[in-house]
Amino acid sequence: MPRIRVGPADEIQPGQPAFVKHGDIEIAVFRVDDGFRAYRNRCPHQQGPVCTGPVSGTLVATADTDWRLAWVLEGRVLICPWHSMEFDLDTGRRLRAQSERLRAYPVEVREGEVFVQLGPRSARPVTPSPA
Amino acid sequence: MTRDSRKPLGLDDVFIVDCDVHANEPPEALAPYIDMPWRRSLELLGRGPQRYLDIPGYAPILNLDPPFPDRGLGNRTVTTARQMRDDLDELSINVGILFPDNLLKIAVFPHVDYAAALGRAYNAWLADAWVSREEGLYGAVLAVPQDPKNAADQIRTYGADDRFVAVYLPVAGLRPLWGDRMYDPIYEAAEEMGLPVMLHSVGIIHPHFPFNLEHVESRIVRHPINHEFALMANLFTMIANGVPVRYPDLDIVFTEGGVSWVPFCMWRMDKEYAEIPTGAPYLERPPSEYIKEMYFCTQPIEEPARSRDLLTMIDLFDGRDKVIFASDWPHHDFDHPRTVLNMPFDADLKRNIMGETARRLFKLPIPVPVA
Repeated sequence: MPRIRVGPADEIQPGQPAFVKHGDIEIAVFRVDDGFRAYRNRCPHQQGPVCTGPVSGTLVATADTDWRLAWVLEGRVLICPWHSMEFDLDTGRRLRAQSERLRAYPVEVREGEVFVQLGPRSARPVTPSPA
Repeated sequence: MTRDSRKPLGLDDVFIVDCDVHANEPPEALAPYIDMPWRRSLELLGRGPQRYLDIPGYAPILNLDPPFPDRGLGNRTVTTARQMRDDLDELSINVGILFPDNLLKIAVFPHVDYAAALGRAYNAWLADAWVSREEGLYGAVLAVPQDPKNAADQIRTYGADDRFVAVYLPVAGLRPLWGDRMYDPIYEAAEEMGLPVMLHSVGIIHPHFPFNLEHVESRIVRHPINHEFALMANLFTMIANGVPVRYPDLDIVFTEGGVSWVPFCMWRMDKEYAEIPTGAPYLERPPSEYIKEMYFCTQPIEEPARSRDLLTMIDLFDGRDKVIFASDWPHHDFDHPRTVLNMPFDADLKRNIMGETARRLFKLPIPVPVA
């Protein structure tokens, strides 16, 4: 399975993913709290360019918030620019519809360089902390 | 070259007519086309702050919602015919039928002369800067409901221009609903010119039924009421007041409501008609028979967990030759044509829905579909 070089780790900032292409497949690498996540730039809904959307937070109202509106997951919610579907950047899962998820790839950081490993679906592409 | 019939149809294998795309018309764009004294109004509006489809005096919406960051991402606009052609090319769409953006709300204006002038300006602007057979961009003549005689004149004027293929009937904030006899001049003109009428709503809060939603805090509630419920209410009145009976050659099209409400309307109206036949004295047949002769645009296409349920739904109203594709580009809830094309329909049905039925309905000059 090919391994794709993305670029220097310190050039990937929160909310500003790096994009790489392999054939028809476009992949975005995001910086999150404990490392990097790589997702295919295709929304499972209508195949929109999900990774070009903003990274933000979202509204919830749960028993934990006493059923009051609360703004949560700031910096962890990827919003598809086509239809505003929301995905948890940490897991790739769609918020409030956990069975849907972004196609994820393992990410590796070697000597300050970020690489994406193509191949079988990765359940949760946890990576080492940014160097 | 012939296609491998075993392969699923791709976007480039079908001729795609998009029955609902939106041209953005800021006040300053229409100012040169509108009569005095309204030109002064549009010039003033053009200098003021403009929010997305939310301009008091031009596109009133009564937005009462608190904003949150990074939402409203779908606030895309298409401001030139060139941009629209490029966008539709990107979506593999061959033909687009143009609707307005801001003037989706034109029915709410109490000033009849202003509304009529806006309608005339929009139609003139479309004719001047947008519609083109070569570019596959066609107009729907805006029929301002506040002034049916003026609307009928506009339909006759632009209906003679083969770049206009339909009549747009605004729904948002409309009063009375489209079944009222006051609109007869509009239907008469549309039938005479051979133009289908297309009902189209939009999100708004307004005192008129069913838009009186000022007490509803969630857009997820208001949006389907603004669209599907409003279409249903108008359909009911059109049936009860016999629009399809009195204008038997008039084609009636419903946009931006999907299709799943159609069987309900048929069966419910048939039930009412059986029990209260005097409520629809114009009818010669049960309501469902008229509804089956109407057309319904796909967007927002239902996406049921079992996608075959959508085919079942269409068959419930014998709709295989009555459902026509629309994307609603560039609005936030647009459907990519791939989404409809990938539904579990056979190839003939896909070709009909994506473009062939609309090509016949709007008499589009495309001689041969894509092989």
